[in-house]
Amino acid sequence: MRKTKLAVALVAVSTLALSGCQGVFGGSDKSSSDGPIVLGMAVPMSGSSSAIGPYMKNGAQLAIDEINAKGGVLGRKLKLNVQDSACDPKTASTAANKLVAAGVTMSVGGYCSSATLPTLSVFNKANTPMIIPAANSADLVSQHLPNVFLINGTGVQQAQAAVSWLTKQKATRVALVDDSTSYSTDITKRAKTDIGKTGGAMKAVLHESVNAGESDYSSNVHDIVSAHPDFVYWTGYYQEGGLIIRQLRQAGYHGKIMVADGSVDGKLISVAGQQPAQGVYATMTETPDTMPGAGDWIASYKKKFGAEPGPYSPQSYDAVRVAAKAMKDAKSTDGKKIEAALMKIDGFPLFSGKLKFTADHTLTQGGFVILQVSGTKFTLADDLKN
Amino acid sequence: MTQIIWNGLFVGSFYALVALGYSMVYGIMKLLNFAHGDLYMVGAFVGFALLTSFSGFTATLSLVALLVVLLLSMVGTGLAGVAIERIAYRPLRNAPRLSLLITAVGASFALEYGMRIVAGPNPQVYPVRLGGSSVHVLGARIGVAQLVLIGVAIALMVALNAMVMRSRQGRAMRAIALDPVASRLMGVDVNRVIARAFFIGSALAGAAGVMAGSYYGSINFLMGFIIGLKAFTAAVIGGIGSFKGAMLGGVVLGLLEAFGTHYLGGQWRDVFAFAFLILFLTVRPTGLLGERVTERV
Repeated sequence: MRKTKLAVALVAVSTLALSGCQGVFGGSDKSSSDGPIVLGMAVPMSGSSSAIGPYMKNGAQLAIDEINAKGGVLGRKLKLNVQDSACDPKTASTAANKLVAAGVTMSVGGYCSSATLPTLSVFNKANTPMIIPAANSADLVSQHLPNVFLINGTGVQQAQAAVSWLTKQKATRVALVDDSTSYSTDITKRAKTDIGKTGGAMKAVLHESVNAGESDYSSNVHDIVSAHPDFVYWTGYYQEGGLIIRQLRQAGYHGKIMVADGSVDGKLISVAGQQPAQGVYATMTETPDTMPGAGDWIASYKKKFGAEPGPYSPQSYDAVRVAAKAMKDAKSTDGKKIEAALMKIDGFPLFSGKLKFTADHTLTQGGFVILQVSGTKFTLADDLKN
Repeated sequence: MTQIIWNGLFVGSFYALVALGYSMVYGIMKLLNFAHGDLYMVGAFVGFALLTSFSGFTATLSLVALLVVLLLSMVGTGLAGVAIERIAYRPLRNAPRLSLLITAVGASFALEYGMRIVAGPNPQVYPVRLGGSSVHVLGARIGVAQLVLIGVAIALMVALNAMVMRSRQGRAMRAIALDPVASRLMGVDVNRVIARAFFIGSALAGAAGVMAGSYYGSINFLMGFIIGLKAFTAAVIGGIGSFKGAMLGGVVLGLLEAFGTHYLGGQWRDVFAFAFLILFLTVRPTGLLGERVTERV
């Protein structure tokens, strides 16, 4: 009996030791100077936000192919390694560890903020710079990790965009609804503060949190309807968003509804039903369909993947270009040097405007626009530029 | 207030349907069938597959077609339940109860991730949706579709109760629940009766799945997990092993959640529901209508 235990312990220890060594040798991969430079990407390929992963993957791949066609970076080709984060913190940590073990030089992924948060420390320990294209909770930058950069507008900027639209629409009684995740509560909290600051007739009459993953929200909807809002702002993802829109309309709510960027997907309309979803507004970073002058880009995307680009395809494309630019400027694949180069970037053209990072490693300008559901699609309602 | 009560009753009727199968299996073979919630998910997906394959036909006769699909899905889910019993539980009939419990958790995962392979990880949207008009009763807004669904749920529960209390099969089930060994000595085919109980319980869960899919519209492979826990809670509140208890427990849990959400806020809904589970297990483990339980897991 004792011998078995000893044997088990030995096996366990040696496995640990071996896997540790693998980490060390695997990690040294990225400083080697031949072979492709690998960029890692942890995005949801399955789960409730699975529609987004392929859009982001294709966007990034498009940029990589363009850069490789022009000779790559530092004389080496770029390569993309995509892992499934499933929009779930546990799965995302596993994905990040896999990427670090595979020796990625930089990370260009991150969609759900709650799933991206636990990956920050994994990449930080491995000295891997992250350019996060889509996740945008302020929690991501509040730890002030040197390797974390956001190229999407933050929750602060999204809340500002939402409140300026509410003011424009002369909303008076606003109900804020989130799904208790980091990304979602960040926006509702900021929006509540911003509404308080406007000083006009507008009030936040309700701040409600729901549990994600359920199908019956009638109790929450009842609370919302009994607060008599004229504008409901949902900041969670499209799966629950669709159900809530449908149940709000069934409960006899006739006011306006707005959703945040996590709900901008065709699935929102199919879950809610086409009729209930009509006219729903959304705060969203610019998508290819709403961007002026993105026609050529859309054409080359279509040619390559045989499908339309979707939400966050352009941001992922931009993330790879920013990563390549930083490595070129740093003339190195060392994490610290890349981070320094990223901070020096000024005026690099992104889809959302000129890139310059703030001290918080976020964008100086958010680039949010207002979309509206019309038929089975989201169309541009206002670019908030005036 | 009326609206809150109505919301609670509506959700409660789903819990009750799923809790019945839980309670029935526990009553007969003292097994907490953790895969039961996933049979609800299987039912929703079987209904989805049937509806998409006959989409041209269902567009014209939506309600009648939905009832036919409901019956077919109940048969499909029932057979799935029987298969699980045959493959996962029957070989362990004489094993310690803990092994059965662990097997049930395994069966639950097998169903979830098996469905993920078959149907894909993405949420699906039901092709036929119940919606339509609503009536106002005492200030509450009550959907006609909701009334139809509650009607179907009540009809299924009444039919089950009649079957268990009046028929020979039902008597056999009650006999096995009381003493399986003595029943076998008296000539009852224990395996067949247990398989039949699994068929009925799973079919009820499947019916609830199809109803949820056609009412809410969105289904995914993990949808059975939470409702399984809620149905278990409902069964415990009502008194696990008791039919009337399962129905009462479902409705009570639905109401508790509706009021909890209203007074504490939406994010407290599950905390509130499961806190009541703990409260009942410590203060009154037999539930509202339960009999004395000598062994618990």
